[in-house]
Formats: sequence, structure tokens, C-alpha cells
Amino acid sequence: MNLVRLVVFGFIGLSIVYGLVWLYSRSVRREKLEKAWEADNPEGGDPEARARYVEEGMQDYHSSIRPKLILLVYIIPAAMVIAVLILTNWN
Amino acid sequence: MVYVKWFFRIVAFVLVFGTLGYVLPRHDVARITGTEVIRMDFSSFNRMFYAQSDSGNVEGETRDLRLINTYKRKTWLFGFIPRDSYGVMVYRNEDTGWIWPPYFKFDSSDLQAEASNLQSTAADPQWVVITQYGWRNRFFTIYPNAIAIRPIDSPDDSPFPWFNVFFFVFVGVAWLFIRAMWRQFRERSVDPAMERAGEAWDAADAQIDERRGRFRKWLDSWKSKPKRY
Repeated sequence: MNLVRLVVFGFIGLSIVYGLVWLYSRSVRREKLEKAWEADNPEGGDPEARARYVEEGMQDYHSSIRPKLILLVYIIPAAMVIAVLILTNWN
Repeated sequence: MVYVKWFFRIVAFVLVFGTLGYVLPRHDVARITGTEVIRMDFSSFNRMFYAQSDSGNVEGETRDLRLINTYKRKTWLFGFIPRDSYGVMVYRNEDTGWIWPPYFKFDSSDLQAEASNLQSTAADPQWVVITQYGWRNRFFTIYPNAIAIRPIDSPDDSPFPWFNVFFFVFVGVAWLFIRAMWRQFRERSVDPAMERAGEAWDAADAQIDERRGRFRKWLDSWKSKPKRY
């Protein structure tokens, strides 16, 4: 029963962390794209082309490996629990 | 007001460091002199310094508690500086189970057998490193919980606290990450929203001013005109 409690509350807590890191990573990437656009077009350029550039960059980001790495938020703590479990109870 | 602020700061500091000092693992160099089992009748106060009954069992009002009696090398500063004096120390040996603190210890019986196996006399000492967390307090009758026992050759072989070093490095990295996240959130979400709100406020303000101006003009139109003579 305690194991169920650990899994349920651990999942809820890690999901909050996952959501926050997901939002943060997306925001950083969008800011980077906007800054890159500004570096190429110091006068601002065409707003529609800018929006398209940023959206395409965000699509590339979503299909890259980076957002999938955020799943490590779940994997690392689970691996650590298993590691501690084995290290503590190993004779 | 300043006193209240400092009061809360000190309380927060004591709570955080008290919890960490209780929960983080420490290594004691000791010689096991015996093991025993006593019945514990917990009070409502000292109950929180004990884990639950063994993981496969049901929780009762009272239960037996495994103890490990040792002769331990004393230290300064949470075990960092070993001293040349020795004293007795008693450890409890309980399952921490799945929840708290997260040691996931289920092998209390095996650890007790290991402790009995490594028992030695002053004439022919077998030194061990006991990994433990918790406090010994005679007034509250509480003991630190032994997590693991490992034989060593001499009482000078005290291990370096790698886990605690990594733990504090991790806490520092996590703190920097949270700060970066907060700054990003403020820069990208809060500030633009505040700006928009400010602009909307200014616009509304201007509109009200204009309306008031119109209203005032209309009111003024009722006033008698300055007479022309």
C-alpha cells in the first residue's frame, strides 16, 4: 500500500516538475529564435515572416530530441529509487 | 516588523537544517558489542522519531525494536573530524519502508544478523562503519537508525561523505535552475502582461478623461454665458 502511495504521489510531483520544465524549455527556445531573427533583421523585418520563422523553429524544436529529454525528469528519480533499493538491501 | 522577519527566518533555517541533519546519512566508526531486542511503548512525542513496523507487518500500539550496541569513535562537526576518544552508542535497526526517509530499507533482520556476525571484544576488535541517520537523545529515548554495516581494518578508515556532497551540489544546481525558470517566467509572461495591463489602464484612463471632458463641457453649456455688455 505504501508502494502505491509512493508511486501515485511521486508521479503527481514529477508531473508538476515535468510541466514546468517543459514550459521553461519551450520559452527559452522561443526567445532564442526571436533573438536570432532580430540579429538577422535589425530593423524588425516583416512581422509575418518573423512569426513564420519563429513557428517553424518551434516545430523543429518539438520534433527534435530535446523535448523528449525532459522525460528524464521521470526516469532519473525512478532509477535512483531502484539504485537506493538495491544498495540498501544488498548483502 | 524586523524582529518578526528574523524570527521566521530563524525558524525556517532551524527546520530545514534540522530536517537535513536528521535525514542525511552519516558514517560512524564503531565496534559492535552486542545486539538486542526491546519492547517499545512509544509516547505520542517520540513516536515520530521511529519508523513503522517491518514492511510486511501490520502497525501496532507497541512492538519490539532491534537495537545494536556499539563502542563508537567520537567526532566533531557531523563526523568530519575524528577524535581520539570513544564512547558507547546505541542504534535502532528498523525498516524505513517505501516512504520516509527514502532509504528503502527492508532488510532489518539481515542487518541484525550481520551486526551479530561482526560483534567483537576489546581484546580482538573488529571495526565497522555504520551508515546511519537520526539522533540519539536520552531524554526522549530515541536512537539513530542503522542503514548499513561494513567491516573496516582500522578505526582510522572513516569514509568520505560522497552522498552528502552530491546532495548539496544537486540542491545548489536545482536552486539555480528554479531561479532561471522564475526569471524566464517573469521576463516572458509577467512583464509583458503587466505592460499590456498598464497600457490598457492608460487607455481607459484617457477615455475617462475624455468623457469627463465632454460631460464637463455639456455641464458648462448650462452655465450662464458671460454677459456681454
